[in-house]
Amino acid sequence: MNRREFMQCAAVLISGASISSLGFTMNHEQHAFLASAPNYNKNPVNFFSALQRSAVSAISEAIIPATDTPGAIEAGVPAFIELMVAEWFNPQERANFMAGLDALMQQSQEQYQKSFNDITQSEQVTLLEKLEDDASDSIWYQRGNVMRDIVSDAPFICQIKELTTWGFFTSEVGGKQVLRSNPMPMRFDGDIPLKPEESTWISTYTVM
Amino acid sequence: MKNNTTDYDAIVIGSGISGGWAAKELTEKGLKVLVLERGKDIKHAQDYRGEHAPTWKFSFHGKPDREKNYEEYPIQSESYAFSEATQHFFNNDKKNPYVRNKDKPFNWMRADVVGGRSLIWGRQVYRFNEQDFKPNQQDKNGIDWPIEYKDLAPWYSHVEKFIGVSGQKENLPQLPDSEFLPPMKMFALEKTIKKRLASKAPEVTMTMGRCAILTEHHNGRAACHYCGPCHRGCSTGGYFSSQSSTLPAAKATGNLTIKADSVVEKLIYDKKSGKVSAVQVVDVHSKKRQQYSAKLFFMCASTVATTQILLNSKSDSFPNGIANSSGTLGHYLMDHPHGSAAVGFFLDDMDSYYFGNRPNGTYIPRFKNLDKNDKEKDFVRGYGYQGHVIRSDWRFSFNSKGFGASYKESLRKPGPWIWSLTGFAECLPQKSNKVFLDEKKLDSYGIPQVSIEFEWGNNEKALWKDAANNADRLMKAAGAVFNIKSKALKAVGGSGIHEMGTARMGSDPANSVLNKHNQAHDVANLFVTDGACMTSSSCVNPSLTYMALTARACDYAVQQLTAGHI
Repeated sequence: MNRREFMQCAAVLISGASISSLGFTMNHEQHAFLASAPNYNKNPVNFFSALQRSAVSAISEAIIPATDTPGAIEAGVPAFIELMVAEWFNPQERANFMAGLDALMQQSQEQYQKSFNDITQSEQVTLLEKLEDDASDSIWYQRGNVMRDIVSDAPFICQIKELTTWGFFTSEVGGKQVLRSNPMPMRFDGDIPLKPEESTWISTYTVM
Repeated sequence: MKNNTTDYDAIVIGSGISGGWAAKELTEKGLKVLVLERGKDIKHAQDYRGEHAPTWKFSFHGKPDREKNYEEYPIQSESYAFSEATQHFFNNDKKNPYVRNKDKPFNWMRADVVGGRSLIWGRQVYRFNEQDFKPNQQDKNGIDWPIEYKDLAPWYSHVEKFIGVSGQKENLPQLPDSEFLPPMKMFALEKTIKKRLASKAPEVTMTMGRCAILTEHHNGRAACHYCGPCHRGCSTGGYFSSQSSTLPAAKATGNLTIKADSVVEKLIYDKKSGKVSAVQVVDVHSKKRQQYSAKLFFMCASTVATTQILLNSKSDSFPNGIANSSGTLGHYLMDHPHGSAAVGFFLDDMDSYYFGNRPNGTYIPRFKNLDKNDKEKDFVRGYGYQGHVIRSDWRFSFNSKGFGASYKESLRKPGPWIWSLTGFAECLPQKSNKVFLDEKKLDSYGIPQVSIEFEWGNNEKALWKDAANNADRLMKAAGAVFNIKSKALKAVGGSGIHEMGTARMGSDPANSVLNKHNQAHDVANLFVTDGACMTSSSCVNPSLTYMALTARACDYAVQQLTAGHI
């Protein structure tokens, strides 16, 4: 739902009189609003090589695969990761990520004589689990070490896991099809039954 | 008022929560009012560019732009309300410098736009109580207030009826009830905790947060639609701001002129009449200086900015700043020591969930040093807690081990409940906590920069220690299965964004700047009604009190003007 649709929805749902009495306007430039901007993970980026890009894609899908709901690739996570590595990481974080990615791709060649995206997903997970095992003493895994911008010296496996999870659950596909989204609740009820299969709401407060 | 020799009847400096109220009250009483705002214009609804944006629209999906924040918003980005969705409300620190003392730091949070910080405020509203107007006298820290609770009570009501305050009546002497709209509902966990506290910590009351957010349609504004992050702006006026409420009311009178991009440099004092004759303004774009004259001047620029202007308004009569014959102008700066006092995890009510995003928490009002029989050894005054509930989700567990379908599945579902207690403690007025001008450092308009020095005193540290200890006790009483206790007070002064004092009210012109009507002792047509006027700080959120004081001062000022006394 873009902003215009949203506001129309809001205007219908809320008593029209109260809106119009304030001179509420709908005809302003829509493009100024963040809500009608293109999705971040649709922005053009060309930072990885083709091989690196396909490896990153495979890793993200191994971390969050398609099940009965979409996985990382369908949610645009590979592009998110490439954008974040290119635009958000600082030079040290970026260098660490690229070195870790190359090492993983190298490891796949040595162990399976195939590139990372040509081995099976279970072989991919075996390699990732080995990385996670080696990194298990990183403070990144410390319980509660989550409400911060980044663990700047986290190992590659932690970097890509964090980018994958963030990129997935904050994406449009992840938010609407895996989690639940309701941009205009209109009421608050603090005590309703939670059914066993139900997902969390998207995190409105993730970005304040 | 019939003498039309001035450009306006009244000039209000600042358009935030206090300035908006001054504009509304003065225009409704028939005065022609000019509101001067140093920041850019923000149009209600049209300029709320971050409103309702989902996470996937944000750069980096909402992770902060670290490089830009470090370079351009090092102070402002510390605010809970700062993000890409609200950045256009905040000051660029690089372009708006102030002198921050490294050893006595003060974080000055600023939103120089039309509407000011009323756009991004926390919206919590609590009345000061009777005792809050007497503590300085009782424990000999600072001077006595020149007013009592009963002087302000009708003005609290006047303000509350207009802004709309949702909350629960409790009949507590330490937290007088407001004029309430229905309270918001509690989470199941909050009900569980409230019940446990009632038996295990009966000395505390846990009530629904009192907030300037509408639970029903009110004065032409729509009830909250529970989208969540208010501070991005609310097109339907669900929360009170100058934009949604006071400025439209002032405009409707036909008596209002607002000039944005107008930096007030100083007030011009006329020795002959003993009054302020005009205000000197620098245009942000042309840098040209211009003066506007009026009969009344209301300072509502926010605590530090108001005092900066007063200090910079020098004349033969007032070489150290206008209305500063007492020498106290700039001193006794306060802010609430605040921060996370405890965070607890709960496994109760796991099969209960919620609908809608409630932009409000619960409140535990002050329960220490309430009367003569209850005197703490280590500190005077008290503190309160704001409580918040979060149902944990993937954001709290994405750093767990594992890959694939089971990892995805575990992150998809709700985890344990979290209940956090944020403490806000009273701050004593200390002369050494101060705002002054650095004449050697000029800003881009050639105006001396303001310099701030601030330190917590021993009483604030002792209050905080007690707040942390009791939060830990309440967490256990509430049934937390695991809780994280706060360490020492970490918050830098100013980060409570409750800065107040520096032009305090008092009965004696020798030790205060303003009288009981927020009128300068020295200058009859000069009023200061923002946080600068505060004599003590209470421990409750102060904006409601600024609004009530402003409305009360406007009433007095117009009476005096009409009677020919000003």
